[in-house]
Amino acid sequence: MDKLTIGLALGYGRSVASKVAKDVGVNAYPFSRTKYVSLTKIAGRKDLALTQTHHSMEGRDIVRETTVNEWSKDSSAGNKPKMELMSMWEDHKKTGHQWAMAMDLNKCTGCSSCIVSCNAENNVPVVGKEEVFKRREMHWIRLDRYYQGDENNPEVVHMPMTCQHCENAPCESVCPVLATVHSSDGINQMAYNRCVGTRYCANNCPYKVRRFNWFKYPHDDLVENMVLNPDVSVRSRGVMEKCSLCVQRIQEKKLVAKKERRSIFDGEIQTACQQSCPSDAIVFGDMNDPKSKVAMSLKNPRNYTVLEELNVRPRVSYLTKTRNKD
Amino acid sequence: MQKQSFLIGIFDDEQKLVDSTRHMVGKNYKIHEIYTPFPVHGLDDLMGVERSRLPYVTFLAGGTGLLIGLLGQVFVSSVSWPINVGGKAFASIPAFIPIIFELTVLIGALSTVAAFFYCTKLFPGKKVQVLDKRQTDDKFIMALEKIDLKEDDQTVMDLLKNQGAVEVMVKEL
Amino acid sequence: MSAQDEICHLRTPLVEKERTYKQISDDVLNTLEKGPSKYWLIGFTVAVLTLTLGVTSIGYQIATGIGTWGLNKTIGWSWDITNFVFWVGIGHAGTLISAILLIFRQKWRTSINRAAEAMTLFAVCCAGIYPLIHMGRPWLAFWMFPYPNSRGSLWLNFRSPLLWDVFAISTYLTVSAVFWYIGLIPDLAAIRDRTTSKLRKKIFGVISLGWDGANRTWHRYEILCLILAGLATPLVLSVHTIVSFDFATSVIPGWHTTIFPPYFVAGAVFSGFGMVLTLLIVTRKLMNFEHYITVNHIESMCKVLILTGSMVGLAYGTEFFIAWYSGNPYERFTFINRATGPYAWAYWIMVSCNVISPQLLWFKKLRTNLVFVFILSIFVNIGMWFERFVIITTSLHRDYLPSSWAMYSPTWVEICEFIGSFGLFFTLFLLFIRFLPAIAVSEVKGVYKFAQKKN
Repeated sequence: MDKLTIGLALGYGRSVASKVAKDVGVNAYPFSRTKYVSLTKIAGRKDLALTQTHHSMEGRDIVRETTVNEWSKDSSAGNKPKMELMSMWEDHKKTGHQWAMAMDLNKCTGCSSCIVSCNAENNVPVVGKEEVFKRREMHWIRLDRYYQGDENNPEVVHMPMTCQHCENAPCESVCPVLATVHSSDGINQMAYNRCVGTRYCANNCPYKVRRFNWFKYPHDDLVENMVLNPDVSVRSRGVMEKCSLCVQRIQEKKLVAKKERRSIFDGEIQTACQQSCPSDAIVFGDMNDPKSKVAMSLKNPRNYTVLEELNVRPRVSYLTKTRNKD
Repeated sequence: MQKQSFLIGIFDDEQKLVDSTRHMVGKNYKIHEIYTPFPVHGLDDLMGVERSRLPYVTFLAGGTGLLIGLLGQVFVSSVSWPINVGGKAFASIPAFIPIIFELTVLIGALSTVAAFFYCTKLFPGKKVQVLDKRQTDDKFIMALEKIDLKEDDQTVMDLLKNQGAVEVMVKEL
Repeated sequence: MSAQDEICHLRTPLVEKERTYKQISDDVLNTLEKGPSKYWLIGFTVAVLTLTLGVTSIGYQIATGIGTWGLNKTIGWSWDITNFVFWVGIGHAGTLISAILLIFRQKWRTSINRAAEAMTLFAVCCAGIYPLIHMGRPWLAFWMFPYPNSRGSLWLNFRSPLLWDVFAISTYLTVSAVFWYIGLIPDLAAIRDRTTSKLRKKIFGVISLGWDGANRTWHRYEILCLILAGLATPLVLSVHTIVSFDFATSVIPGWHTTIFPPYFVAGAVFSGFGMVLTLLIVTRKLMNFEHYITVNHIESMCKVLILTGSMVGLAYGTEFFIAWYSGNPYERFTFINRATGPYAWAYWIMVSCNVISPQLLWFKKLRTNLVFVFILSIFVNIGMWFERFVIITTSLHRDYLPSSWAMYSPTWVEICEFIGSFGLFFTLFLLFIRFLPAIAVSEVKGVYKFAQKKN
């Protein structure tokens, strides 16, 4: 945008609101009818509560992208070949269901529906502006937004980031009390009632997707608590939480399929983020099912995992962004 | 405890004590014990004190600690309830080594100390039996057994005095 | 001709004044019979008040939540683990003096080992507070110990460095306490035998376990001390190695490096000797121990500071070089960020206090100037605190994904708790000075004649 242009959110026109919205924001509608405005700098400082304060990828291999032209010539354009990484240990068996997720960076518009639906589904606490300012928001899925290119006209990329459910999860190895372990179907589990809150797992997560309950965020209010999902526990103070790949939904559908004596068909289990994504950027399913959408995504030449060189082997993969330039 | 009589010589210089001990042992006097405020070297050989077997206790106890650490962790992690933690093997021995080492040292040290207290019969509430209050301060006390003493007390006491004892007396413990 | 006249005049005497054994006992043990001096009372009052401040802050924090600290989802550890490693590191000097110098037959250790080992115990106590209070649910801390239960039995993750810490610190505290107590027994017996107070006689009679100074007992005692020293030496090396594993076994750039075990151990000895010097330079003056804890002792400790300080400086350089040589962009960035990023001020305090200041001790004039050494020892501890802060906080605040980059600053709760830990440390140390012999009397008597001048 031009340096002499100011963008101002109009607001919703209210001037009185309940305690949640007291002193938050302004009604900017009066300006919409004004022709001439003047701008004055006043004393003081207001800190903005942002969930992300650094917007450059610093040259790191986080988002891989290409252009449509390049992709049409070579479908693995922009992507790098899969690394051959050694392991000290023999792999654990990968039989039965093995859940995996793929996120298409091309389809993601950064609308944040996934965040809203994940919060609603998983009883993610709302922490308030002060806590957000201290970088303590509790969203299990976040949208990393990186700018690149020309400062005055940057390109944007949105990257949804959840727990990557690594097969060699660095968080699991360091929990002293076995509060986070790996399930036989590939999910990085979080046992809230076992967690004593040492926070080593969060420190060791290279993706920084773990969330800690710094205070007792939930509170006893019979009316407010009607919004909670009864299938998901409410976490207490001092406990770590993170994306569980909506394990309650996985369990629900597994039970239904068991009762009906059939196997789960692809697309039957939908995580909350996947369900609400308007562009179907998120694909979730059983990678051991060769016909599943997620298995197809894994075979896609655009598929890659973030921070691949750490050999943590995430089950959440991404498809390279393809920009429609020139 | 039966009361036994000892003929004691109180020295105030450890070198004189060592020389006197050498002399008395050479003359086949039975030395019951020598009490010093700090360990005086040379007395062990003269008194025929056998080298303590505490190091064997340490070795065995440390070995026990090692086995408890190794077998305990392997059992718990791969037999009792194997859990996939970080993709690691169930019996991930390299990861178990720090705790194995600590248990070796802990059980080795505590067992050795317990064995020491057992051998030396030291325990809280033990009735204190000192011949002279200054044996923990600055005096060195040689206690000779009176049983089988061929000479009479005065001869022995004079002998000790000649060797540098500042006091001699007969005491009961 | 006795051995007394054959003493070599080339060695510096360990006790600077001519003393008889009785005078050595009196010098050290008489102060215990007298009432507390005014310096002690002032120091003790300040220490207890500071401790109360710390306890109150901890109470508030446990009742309200870890949110009362300045941590967030990017920086999960900062002052809490910095202080933990700080206190554990300080403890290591005492064990080095007690155990390692015993094995190397360094007789000059006898006038400082009692106080240094006591300092170790108190430092480990202060350190042990932090793993407890840094937990989100500290009332469940007993879950960190393996015990059979009705939940499976659900045991523990023995691969976790935090659990290695539990075993290592517990072992270290136990073995250090036992070693210190064993060393005390002959002196406790000396107090029992010379005190006129009936109550003291009873108490010291019980805790001296009936010690009588028999030669056979001394024989086993010396062997026991050597065994404990032989066990304590690899123990002290392993404990701080395991503490360094908290970082070295992670994946975070700036943490995940194999140099941490020797680097941390050298740093621990460095900071520990700094604290020993701070404590003993004051103690020797106020308790008139100047001819027991001589300028030579201080000098020898300064030499250890030069050695370990140089090792720490070398480690800094090695880390930086390897970060560049590895070509790993994350590692390279971490080190450049340490020196030039938002926490650069902490980095440069660390470098100037840890690398530059100990090198001044190459000059004998400075080594033997006790005021200079005292001030330097305080800088050593400040520098070592900042080293842990830099390692922990700067590595976390900017790691792999820039979207998570954040800042951290401590709250008053964390600051009060840290000050409170000093309160605990000094409360315990002052109680020790008041009621127990601060110098290993029997050991000093045993080496007194070694290199003593005969007039």
